[in-house]
Amino acid sequence: MQVEKFYYDNKTVKMFAYAVLLWGIVGMLAGLWIAIALYYPSINLGFAPTTFGRMRPVHTNAVIFAFVGNGIFMGIYYSLQRLCKTRMFSDLLSKIHFWGWQLIIVAGALTLWTGHTSGKEYAELEWPIDIAIALVWVVFGINMFGTILKRRESHIYVAIWFYIATWVTVAMLHIVNSLELPISFLKSYSMYAGVQDALVQWWYGHNAVAFFLTTPYLGLMYYFLPKAANRPIYSYRLSIIHFWALIFIYIWAGPHHLLYTALPDWAQSLGVVFSIMLIAPSWGGMLNGLFTLRGAWDKVREEPVLKFLVVAITCYGMATFEGPMLSLKSVNAISHFTDWTIAHVHVGALGWNGFLTFGVLYWIIPKMWNTTLYSKKLAGTHFWTGTIGIILYVIPMYWAGFTQSMMWKTFTEEGQLKFQFLETVTHIVPMYAVRSIGGALYLVGAFIMVYNLIKTVQQGSFVADEAAEAPALEKNIVPHSKEYWHRWIEKRPMQMLVLSLIAVAIGGVVELIPTFLVKSNIPTISSVKPYTPLELHGRDVYIREGCYLCHSQMVRPFRDEVARYGEYSKAGEFVYDHPFQWGSKRTGPDLARVGGKYPDSWHYNHMMDPQSMSPGSIMPSYPWLYEDEVDTLLTPKMIWAMRKLGVPYAEGYEYNANDDLRLQQQKIVTSLQGDKISGVNGKPINNKSIIALIAYLQRIGMDIKSAPKTQTAQSGQGVMGN
Amino acid sequence: MLLIANIFKKACKIWLPLLLLCITAVPAMAEGPTPPSSLSNPFVTLMVIIILFLAIIIFMMGRLVIGSGGLYLEKWKKESEEAKKNSTAPVVTTIVLLLLSVQVFAQDKAAPAAATDNFGGISSTAYYLLCSVVFVELLLIAVLLYMLRVFAGIQKKKKAIVAATNTAAVKTSVPELSWWDRFNALKPIHQEVNIDLGHDYDGIRELDNKLPPWWLYGFFLTIIFAGVYLYSHYVSHTAMSGIEEYEASVKQADIEKTEYLKKSANNIDETTVKLLTADADIAAGKAVFQVSCFPCHGKNGEGIVGPNLTDDYWIHGGSIQDIFKTLKYGWADKGMKSWKDDFSPVQLAQIASYVKSLRGTNPANAKAPQGTLYTEAGNAAPATTDSTKTKKAS
Repeated sequence: MQVEKFYYDNKTVKMFAYAVLLWGIVGMLAGLWIAIALYYPSINLGFAPTTFGRMRPVHTNAVIFAFVGNGIFMGIYYSLQRLCKTRMFSDLLSKIHFWGWQLIIVAGALTLWTGHTSGKEYAELEWPIDIAIALVWVVFGINMFGTILKRRESHIYVAIWFYIATWVTVAMLHIVNSLELPISFLKSYSMYAGVQDALVQWWYGHNAVAFFLTTPYLGLMYYFLPKAANRPIYSYRLSIIHFWALIFIYIWAGPHHLLYTALPDWAQSLGVVFSIMLIAPSWGGMLNGLFTLRGAWDKVREEPVLKFLVVAITCYGMATFEGPMLSLKSVNAISHFTDWTIAHVHVGALGWNGFLTFGVLYWIIPKMWNTTLYSKKLAGTHFWTGTIGIILYVIPMYWAGFTQSMMWKTFTEEGQLKFQFLETVTHIVPMYAVRSIGGALYLVGAFIMVYNLIKTVQQGSFVADEAAEAPALEKNIVPHSKEYWHRWIEKRPMQMLVLSLIAVAIGGVVELIPTFLVKSNIPTISSVKPYTPLELHGRDVYIREGCYLCHSQMVRPFRDEVARYGEYSKAGEFVYDHPFQWGSKRTGPDLARVGGKYPDSWHYNHMMDPQSMSPGSIMPSYPWLYEDEVDTLLTPKMIWAMRKLGVPYAEGYEYNANDDLRLQQQKIVTSLQGDKISGVNGKPINNKSIIALIAYLQRIGMDIKSAPKTQTAQSGQGVMGN
Repeated sequence: MLLIANIFKKACKIWLPLLLLCITAVPAMAEGPTPPSSLSNPFVTLMVIIILFLAIIIFMMGRLVIGSGGLYLEKWKKESEEAKKNSTAPVVTTIVLLLLSVQVFAQDKAAPAAATDNFGGISSTAYYLLCSVVFVELLLIAVLLYMLRVFAGIQKKKKAIVAATNTAAVKTSVPELSWWDRFNALKPIHQEVNIDLGHDYDGIRELDNKLPPWWLYGFFLTIIFAGVYLYSHYVSHTAMSGIEEYEASVKQADIEKTEYLKKSANNIDETTVKLLTADADIAAGKAVFQVSCFPCHGKNGEGIVGPNLTDDYWIHGGSIQDIFKTLKYGWADKGMKSWKDDFSPVQLAQIASYVKSLRGTNPANAKAPQGTLYTEAGNAAPATTDSTKTKKAS
């Protein structure tokens, strides 16, 4: 057997590692910023890019796609070469992958700050960046499969199964969810509307958690944990069963983000049951991790890498048990739209993704610099700071979420809602303050790590090309004894790719296709009409400022919500909503029935200074909306695009749409004048963004209010799915 | 507990009979199934959860006992005759105890069967049935615990004996399985060589451990849950859809509200409301006004976005009944929201009375009059002017 010499490429891994550190800090800072904004609204600065609605997507995108994304690539580029006993397929592709991804991140941050967003959570980036992501992802795929194909190992290890499933599923999710119709260089409308858009979005959103935050990190765990503990993987069978079960079941669970909404009942039920069935496959990963540490627990006390990994896996176990519980409708009725969800995701993000990333960094940096960690003690300090940070973060959030939900649902004996919405917010503001302390501690821990790693790098010497040797792969390997059936596919990465794709495609197909094709899923309501041109512009403002990040537009069929907001939402109300704006969090009240609830002047004053209309409100002010003009040149394009997407505007309407727009502007301006509001510094305000936004706000939910009673009752029955 | 409660809430109609079958077998059937109506009772739900929880514990402990008992019995046979007697004793005890427990259980249920009292909204039969199931389960757990202790005692004794005779050989031959290892079907670490699959990926080896039994059964359980859930929603229709849940909750709330209002002073509406003049009432009305009304009507009722409330002109009528009605139902098209879900009827009367008390206070920055002139006696005036015309701006 010929032994071949080759070199591992550590340089790409190093670059990704640096990117992880940089974007990690940036993402966490953005998170801290918005955490403070929730109890100290002045930090929004009255400046658009620093306002919550724009900073929040910057935070989520930075930690998910920049911090964890680079973490994935760092871990994969390090482990894949070693598991395949070969160098990465192409150094050029590695370089393109790295720089392409960083460019996407920078472009993403800049566009989000300047208000260019598609308005779909965790998929906010606009269409040119979406295309760039797809291209870079393909580059990554070619590089990964090239490496796997030229491997010197006969079989591919479980970590690589997870990498393959990750790659193919993320590609599928990203492409399907990002289908949109561009109207300008940085503006597009989602192909889907309302209920369908919501289903696609949360099929994507849920599985972004699954296949961007979970499966690749499970793969990393399968490599770095046994390496760091020097113990064999506990159970190969468990790997097989939990891998296939996990990827097959995960994809179905998306609708649990839409329980009690206008999504058809059957889809909600599928979301519930598949979420419950997900417990065991998820825990399979945790068990395989923790049991691998059998006989090595003494090392866990000593070795910082293992400490981080153990807490990461434990947090993974907790989050993946909590998730299914939150998918039960009766629990979801309490948790959804509250900070409970925020607590839940941060157990995963800070605990599982954060700590696992830290563990990997503490492992690979000394290895690649051919030295030992500068200070185990500092790493220990980081560990404890981070752990206390997580606890201080999540406990107030669980508390806040539960308390607020209970307050929302409390009625007096006379049958009135006991608390105004604002009272439930001011009640939990102290919890927000404690949470930001937890987050700050976690960030301090990250800084300690950066210092520790810089010192480590300084004391070592970087090995850019690490020498290794392995025998060449023999073409025909005869198994010595009876082998597991699964060994067959472990020699065939391409078949693995196809099978994974089939496994993850089934759930999506079963849930999406009927929602698109079967008419009865979305009963139409004849009084629901397309938006006027000015309302469309207002809707764009609403999306641009990220209103959906704090305000839902979905009244669930609960006694308290109907009492507080009005009739519960029906599927047919959203048929012209490209994209849907149901939201996932109620930091502020629901807006699904806000139309006509307040006078125009109320909105005008409220957007300028929310505290003047609602004392104690934590909403930021939006002074720039009184300066910005609506781009009426875009109106024809908008109407055209909406018609393309199926909104029934008459042919040729785009040419006189601006006439209607001006009429409606004037109507609102007149109404404002009636309430002694006559423009900013005496200048006309007709074309300002605020007027468009008021037009949109006054429209939301109005169609169904004007509908004859019998018809809404009928559509309500339709939603029941009988 | 709440979480688990919710898992079974929907499916409990199917779970309960199943559970009774499993645990109480024939005696339970003799009692007849619990009436389904009591299944939504929170007490019943709680008890069912406790029962299930205990059943799982029993199942797991049972496995442990069977495993350890069998293991030691077998080994003991090969050892001295004397030791054999010792090991069989607990088994006999167990069987006796098991029989006993069944008897106790049967008695428990025989007694209350005749009673017809109501216990917290459920029939006494169901109450005793649930209690006795829990009792029997606790008893079983006690027995199992006792057995485990006995077996553990044997293990210690045996270890001591063997250690005394042959120290060197023992270490490899005596299994060091803790209850945890057995619970997870873990192999002792020194036997790992036997299950090493020989895979080597960059130094990572893989073992062929069995799936932890609780994990596997848990997985099956969730699949069964999924089946039951879908069945109860779409085949048997015993579970409610979201909309049905909503309708039921509103109906229930209405009943409770009417009951409450019947015996409370709050039974006021726009036809029965009277002007309140007591200082306490006016002060209470003012307090609410200062928090909820001032953004539109001004601190002193001078009017900002909303109309001036201190003059004699009213858009929707100025009598106490009219104001009460306006507060209660709102005028959505003009920006006045309905406050009936925020404030009780008494509170609405207090606010309306406070508003009435503002008349003629002439605050600064008062908004121009809107609506029609209202005089206290002249309720007949409203139709004379088109109020919407003057108020069109808002």
